[in-house]
Amino acid sequence: MPEQKVVAPEFMFTEAAREEQFITGSEAVREAVRRANVDMAVSYPITPQSESMHLVGDIWAEGYIKDYYRGENEFAVMSAVAGAAMGGVRVFTATGGPGTMRALEMFPTWVGARLPIVCAFFTRGINSPLTIQPDTIEMAHLLDTGMIMLHAEDAQDLYDMILKAFIIAEQTEVHIPVGVFADGFFVTHTRDKVRVAPADIKLPPYKPYSAPVPVMDMENVPFRQMRDPFVMKSNYVSYAAHASWQQEVLAAAERARPFIRQYLGGLIEVENEQADVLVLAGGTAVCQSREAIAMAREEGIEAGLIKIKSLRPFPGEELRALTAKAKAVIVPEFNRVGWLSRELRNVVQNPDRVVAGPRVFGGMTMPPDLILSEIRRYARE
Amino acid sequence: MTKKTSIRMSGLGGQGVVTAAHILGSAATRDGLVSTVNPFFGAEKRLAPAESYVRVSSDRIFERGEILFPNVIMIFHPHVISLGKCYTMPFFAGLQPGGLMLVNGDSAPELSQDEREALKRLDAKLYYFPATKLALEVGGTDLATNMAMLGGLIEITHIVSWPGITDALAERFGGGKFVASATTAALDDALKSKYEKISQLLEQNMAVMQAVGPTIKEVTF
Amino acid sequence: MSKPMLKMTTAFADVMPAEYVELVQNGPFGKGYGVADLGSFKELIEEHPLCAGCGLALAVRLIMASLPTPEDTVVVGSTGCSSLAFPQIALQNIHSLFGNQNAVASGLKRALKLRFPDKHKDVLVVAGDGATADIGLDMVMHSWFRGEKLATIMLDNEAYANTGGQESGMSPEGCVLNMAPTGKKFKKIALPEIARESGCAYVASVTPVQPRKLEKAVRRAILVAREVGPTYVQIFVPCPTNFKFKPQETLAKAKQKEKDQTYPLREFITPEAQAYLAALEGGGKHD
Repeated sequence: MPEQKVVAPEFMFTEAAREEQFITGSEAVREAVRRANVDMAVSYPITPQSESMHLVGDIWAEGYIKDYYRGENEFAVMSAVAGAAMGGVRVFTATGGPGTMRALEMFPTWVGARLPIVCAFFTRGINSPLTIQPDTIEMAHLLDTGMIMLHAEDAQDLYDMILKAFIIAEQTEVHIPVGVFADGFFVTHTRDKVRVAPADIKLPPYKPYSAPVPVMDMENVPFRQMRDPFVMKSNYVSYAAHASWQQEVLAAAERARPFIRQYLGGLIEVENEQADVLVLAGGTAVCQSREAIAMAREEGIEAGLIKIKSLRPFPGEELRALTAKAKAVIVPEFNRVGWLSRELRNVVQNPDRVVAGPRVFGGMTMPPDLILSEIRRYARE
Repeated sequence: MTKKTSIRMSGLGGQGVVTAAHILGSAATRDGLVSTVNPFFGAEKRLAPAESYVRVSSDRIFERGEILFPNVIMIFHPHVISLGKCYTMPFFAGLQPGGLMLVNGDSAPELSQDEREALKRLDAKLYYFPATKLALEVGGTDLATNMAMLGGLIEITHIVSWPGITDALAERFGGGKFVASATTAALDDALKSKYEKISQLLEQNMAVMQAVGPTIKEVTF
Repeated sequence: MSKPMLKMTTAFADVMPAEYVELVQNGPFGKGYGVADLGSFKELIEEHPLCAGCGLALAVRLIMASLPTPEDTVVVGSTGCSSLAFPQIALQNIHSLFGNQNAVASGLKRALKLRFPDKHKDVLVVAGDGATADIGLDMVMHSWFRGEKLATIMLDNEAYANTGGQESGMSPEGCVLNMAPTGKKFKKIALPEIARESGCAYVASVTPVQPRKLEKAVRRAILVAREVGPTYVQIFVPCPTNFKFKPQETLAKAKQKEKDQTYPLREFITPEAQAYLAALEGGGKHD
């Protein structure tokens, strides 16, 4: 087993000297997990995720992870990591696209069972005819599972967010799963400079008894969980139990806000927010928007950028305040349904100012020119 | 605006466009430039269209995904043009004014009158050279076709330095596990088995790259 | 479980539920009780909400009395009638979803192995026939293929009983049930044979008619799963509600099926498991 020194999360995230590596997003996953003191990982192949979990397997073989195996399908994998998390260990897995949909039944139960699982989602299309190409539509299906959802712009974000996700997820007052989302191919397969902490340090281990619910190890009380299984009955006590638990789970996500601010520097990142025209984007759409905004500047047009990093909890108040004076908020998206623009419309004043597009889907990247032409149109109005 | 060169590599699965893109990006990084590299492929394998995109700049690159408006187009196999095995039609769709095209072929690619006129309006330059033939003759394997293509690129554009590319090559094949895709990893092992020693592989690859220069021919429109 | 875990906090003793006080004072933890001791100690299962004459409830009671070390046993269940009983037991237990019990158990067992490498933490999967042989079959079989050190028990009432008596893969051929209005068109799934061929080191099918035999199968399954490999026990648990017989006839139904061999009892043990059991059972308290 490789020698690694346990360091405080703050040291890992900010103080530790960083080395620049020219690596893919999948390799950034490996480097994050290598330093995350993960006990167990379970894998299942699906494009464009497969490489990331191969590489996690490789570092298990090197001794950085204690247990690892390939499960039989995504539903089973998400079930297995749930069992492991209930047994009190730190777990990691990843999937994407149809794999996310196959496993969907598990995600709300992770949250309800208060499991601090970190799962990476590498998005791809889920429609028929079959596609393996990038598309963020699966995220729309996960918005109301209750889990925390972070969206990485690039491989650097992916590396940082995975490491930080463990620390955010495992806070006693939070203790719910974190999904770290990155756009398939555009992040997973793109080679870019990523600054990583030294490989000989790792995060502190998970403390199982910091969980707000009993660990299933017969070493902590209570082991008689309930006298009467009221949760399965149709009566007032049962309804009250379910309703209050669902609110508690929502509250847990709300309680993650200060930790997301502390570790990720906020739920959003903003540039040039006083501009009349703003662009709100997540994931690869942020990269394309940055390019479009730079092109607009060459033409003498100023536009601002809001990068959304946390979708759940949603930065509703921040967005409402930031967009208060904007003439238009352009929301470029890599999916057909425009779920991010719907989210934004729900929180801003005068939602007519939300420009629900441009959108690309089916696998193509979004030419920055498409965003640029929207910026031009609303800047002139 | 900062100078950014966008290179689109179109080939067939198994020809090494993914590897060539990686080595080029890695060499650019070694030369102190900024580069992003991403492959794009369908679920198909050998002989299916495969493309890689390399952006090289002096400044931070934000843009992701396929290159729609390239400055340089590299065609690894004549079938990319003759059978339309690429993601854009015609193969030079989106080429920027003054752009370059490098084509692997023993003879000049056949172009229609319309295509010639379009390329002339773009003030584009088209070069061809027998990359696969050189790979076989000098490197002893057609798997070095991508090396010949890189050699041609460096010869014509000087986009990266020879020391940069030598180091990048050593990093790529000199050990350390690299994963671009599972299939690429499998091909690595096949390639390595053809050489007794890694050093021999590196030397052969460099020899292939450097052999390209005198064989480059330009097509005029 | 470390010894001081089950201790009454004196300040709360007067407000603790009676059955909890009994569990602390006269429970089975660390005692090595078996089914022969039933009636003399506080059982792990409290009152349950299952139907009168429920064969499954009886089987759960017997299983709970057969555990070699209840103080270090975690149960993974699944959706169905048994999921109404498990919240009533005095063991930590998981209900995740319908059918994923063996996948959950795989993760749990490995996690407990990592955390308690020098201790046997028994992970016992107990689920119905629908959960085991139908919706969760891939995960059940893959846990066997992988050689997960789990004991899997099927409570086989030959139907989806909790949802109102629908046909399951374990229903007998020809049986008329909901969703099989003209009778089931295919044979009962031969899961014991499938288990044997899929890597299980110990396989048994039993009924609650002979409690000592059931106990022996459950204990063997748990013990073999500690050291040798996955194990499977299938227990016939007649359902008076959906098969429409009187609650008092449950054991007679099971006995009848044992007798006419429409529910064949069997035991498959690999030579390795046999040797392991022989060493263990040499001077054992039970059998």
